[in-house]
Formats: sequence, structure tokens, C-alpha cells
Amino acid sequence: MGWLAVPKDWISTFGEIAKFCGKIVGQVYGLRVFRFFGEALRQCGILILSSTLVIWGLVFIIGLQCGIEGAYFTRSVGAPAYSGVFAAWCDLRELVPYAFGYMMAAKVGTGIVAELGSMRISDEIDALEVMGINSVTFLCATRLLAAWMVLPFMYIAAIGAGFFASYLAVVQQIGDVSSGGFFLIFWMFQNPPDMLFSMMKAMVMATGIVLVGCYYGYNASGGPVGVGTATAKSMVLNIVFVHLIGMLGTQLFWGANPRAPIGG
Amino acid sequence: MFRQIADRAFLPTKSVLEEVGDMMILTGKTIVSALRPPYPYGGEFVSQFLFALRLCWFPLLVSTVAFGYGAPGLQAANFLVLFGALDRLGGFFVLASIREFAPFVVAIVLAGVAGTAITADLGARKIREELDALQVLGVDPVKNLVVPRFLALMVVTGLFDVYALLFGIFGGILATLVNGAPLGPFWATFFTNASVTDLWGSLVKCTLFGAIIAIVCCYKGMTASGGAAGVGRAVNQAVVIAFLGVFAFNYVFTQTLLATHPEITVIK
Repeated sequence: MGWLAVPKDWISTFGEIAKFCGKIVGQVYGLRVFRFFGEALRQCGILILSSTLVIWGLVFIIGLQCGIEGAYFTRSVGAPAYSGVFAAWCDLRELVPYAFGYMMAAKVGTGIVAELGSMRISDEIDALEVMGINSVTFLCATRLLAAWMVLPFMYIAAIGAGFFASYLAVVQQIGDVSSGGFFLIFWMFQNPPDMLFSMMKAMVMATGIVLVGCYYGYNASGGPVGVGTATAKSMVLNIVFVHLIGMLGTQLFWGANPRAPIGG
Repeated sequence: MFRQIADRAFLPTKSVLEEVGDMMILTGKTIVSALRPPYPYGGEFVSQFLFALRLCWFPLLVSTVAFGYGAPGLQAANFLVLFGALDRLGGFFVLASIREFAPFVVAIVLAGVAGTAITADLGARKIREELDALQVLGVDPVKNLVVPRFLALMVVTGLFDVYALLFGIFGGILATLVNGAPLGPFWATFFTNASVTDLWGSLVKCTLFGAIIAIVCCYKGMTASGGAAGVGRAVNQAVVIAFLGVFAFNYVFTQTLLATHPEITVIK
């Protein structure tokens, strides 16, 4: 016991989560989840109707933020025409994935914990098992499949929302640069591989968030209070996870190669 | 038919507006009852302060170092290395860390970690009818539960802002070292560009983030309903509203600060 108890506890929780996630991912890749394809489609519908607008909203606000910071910064170095560089890198490479991860964790991750946790507390998951339905496949694997089907498209649209917001902030609000000048530089400093990298970051974040949400919801215990506590705990893990993936993704994709059209 | 369409569009809007109004009323009540004697919330304030400190210090440390190293550190260093001006990274960190990401990473972590815990706690008390029992006993839940959390979260976010600044800049140092550059120029440009206005702007912004998070999370916890599913749902909604509120406020505040203090944007 003593100070070793806390890290030991973390490591064992981490192992449990990894085991559980392996099971879910195995069932999606083993195509067993397609037995419940209807349920997966229903989860897609829920994801689209309840989470899309909120995620786009947060990305939009962050896009505005990138825009004004970029506009003021490039104004101060005396090159306001180049605010597109700041906006392109800030939006596409860093803050759109982060904003997406934050809102996924807040809206979808905790939503899954609350939903599955209350099913666990009211013994509905046991009832599913009694009826001969594999509850991990039916509840968790379908949610993962739904996330993988919907989120790439939602993410591309979210990038669009961020770009639009940056344009509004730089060109319409601050107005140091013409719209043509802004877009010339803006598109010059990004290309399709950048978008693919950004999307890979976001999809890893989203997959982790859904899996962590499933783990904490599926294993909730302790009555109504337990569901609340499990929701809060999943959020802690998700936030740390989102930041770590953001950093590792940047290091991996852009760490050794700035991918900028400067120099030879 | 028109009536139905109108209802579909207006009822959600109306309920959102009502909720925002309720939160404003709760804010007013909290401030009034914080100032008006008696002051019975000292013990609860200290315990909430320590609770938030204990829960958040580690996630915040990891998050700020990761964010500082990744987003402004590596990307800006990449850009500056192309021009052979890596020493300017220090000056950029004044903009990136002090003005932008230290406050909002604190807000994200505090909302996600301490805010959710507050909502879960108050929501559970609401579901078990403890809040009603308190009222029957003549104890005001706003004064004894909301005020200490409100004050504790404001103080703790303000202090955590400094902590996040230190570790965010540590991320920048890592990025400088990874590029094999000396640290002297980093500190030189950092301290010539840093201004007091930036620092107080950052602290005020972060303290107000704490107020937003506390009010949203307390409100959602105190109005939870519907058994086991209700507490979970309350936590979910609380985090979403807190994030949106924090970022919307961040935009307005930063824009106002930048527009009213042009001297802080000058590169020295």
C-alpha cells in the first residue's frame, strides 16, 4: 500500500479498459456486429440528429477564434495578407481536431456512459443476456460501427464550418485582407494529405472516446449516483486522451516535415 | 399544420431561452447570497477547493504540456525554422499560451473533471431528495451548496491559469529543445513580448470561465430528474453547455481585449 496504490490502480483500470476495447473492436472486425446492423443504423441516426449541430457549433466558434488571433498576429508583424497561413494551420492541423475531440467527449462520450449506465443500473443489460443476445455486441459494437460510419463525413463538414468561421473573422470582421488574398494563401498552405492527417487524428480520438464511454457505461455500478460518477470519470480519461492524441498526431504527421510551400 | 410546424421550431428555442434565463437568475441569487451575511460556507468552500485541486492537477498537467508542445510548439517552430527565426517562438508563446490556450485548456479540464463531479454530486442529492430535505430543515441550498462551489471554482481556475501557463511554456521549451536550439533566445523574446495586460487579461478570463462552469454545473445538478438516467443526462448536458458557454465567452472576451488594447499585439 501507500503511494504505489494509486498508480497500480490506474494500471489495472487501463488494462481492464484495453481488454474491453479489444473485445468490442474484435466484434466489429469479426463482422459479428452485422447481425445487429439495424441497431447500428439506429445509432447512426441518433448520432446525426443529436450531436452534429453541437459539434459543428463548437468547431465554428473555435474557427472564429483562430481567425481573430491570426488576423491580429499577422497585423502586428506587418503582413496581414498572410493571415491565411495562421488560419489554415490553426484550423486544419490543430484546433478543429481538438474541438471535435472535446465535443465528442462531452456530448457523445458522456451520452453513451449515461445511457448504458442507466441500462446497467436498471438491469436491462442482464435482461438482454437472458434473452440470448450478446450485450457487448448489441450495445457497444453497434455504437462503434455507427461512429465509424457517420463521423468521417461529419468531420469533413466540421472542417468546413471551421474554415467558414475563420473566413468570416478574418475577411468580414477584421477586414485587413481581401477575400481573394486570404483564400490564395489559405489554400496554398494546405493540401489533401494534410486533411487526411487531420482526419486520422480526429478518428483516433473519436474511436477512443466511444470505447471509453462504452467501458464506463457498461461497467457502471452503485445506483443513480454511480451513473453520475462513471460519467464524470469517463470525462477525465477522455480529456487526457484527446490531448495526448493531439500531441502525438502532430509529432507523427508534422513533426519532421512542416509541409509548407516555403523554400526549396 | 402551421401550428405544429411552429411548435416544432419554437418549443426547443423557448426551452433553451428559459434555461439560460434560469441560469442567469441562479447567478444573481448566488452573488447576492454570497455577499449577504451570514457566511456559513467557509468549510464547504475549503473542501470544494481542495477537491477540485486534487482531481484536476494531474489531467491539467498532462493536457497543458501536450497542448503546448503539439499545437503552438511544434507547428510554430516548424514555421519559424523555415525562416531561421526559431528565437521568435518565445514571443509567439505569449500570444499562444497566455492569451489563448492556457485559459481554455484550464476551462476544458475544469469543466470536464471538476464540473462533471459537481453535477454528479448535486444531481445525486437531488434524486435522493436531499436538497428538498435541506430546504425543509431551513437550510438554503444556494447559500450552502452553490455559493461555496461558485467561489471555489472561480479561485481554483484563476490559480490553475498560472499553473497551466507554466506547463504550457514548458511544452514550448520542449519544442525548442527538440529543434536543437538554445533556450536563451526563447526566454529573451518571451519576456520582451510579455505584458502585464496579457497576464491580467488571462487571469480575469480564466476566473470568469470558472464562474460559467460553476453556474452551469450547479444548475444542471440541482434540476436533475428522472432517476438513474437523469443524473447521467444532467452531467452530459452540463458539460456540453459549459463548453459552448466557455468558448463563446472566450471569443467575445479575446476580441474585446485585442481591440481595446492594441499595444499588446505589437511585436517587440
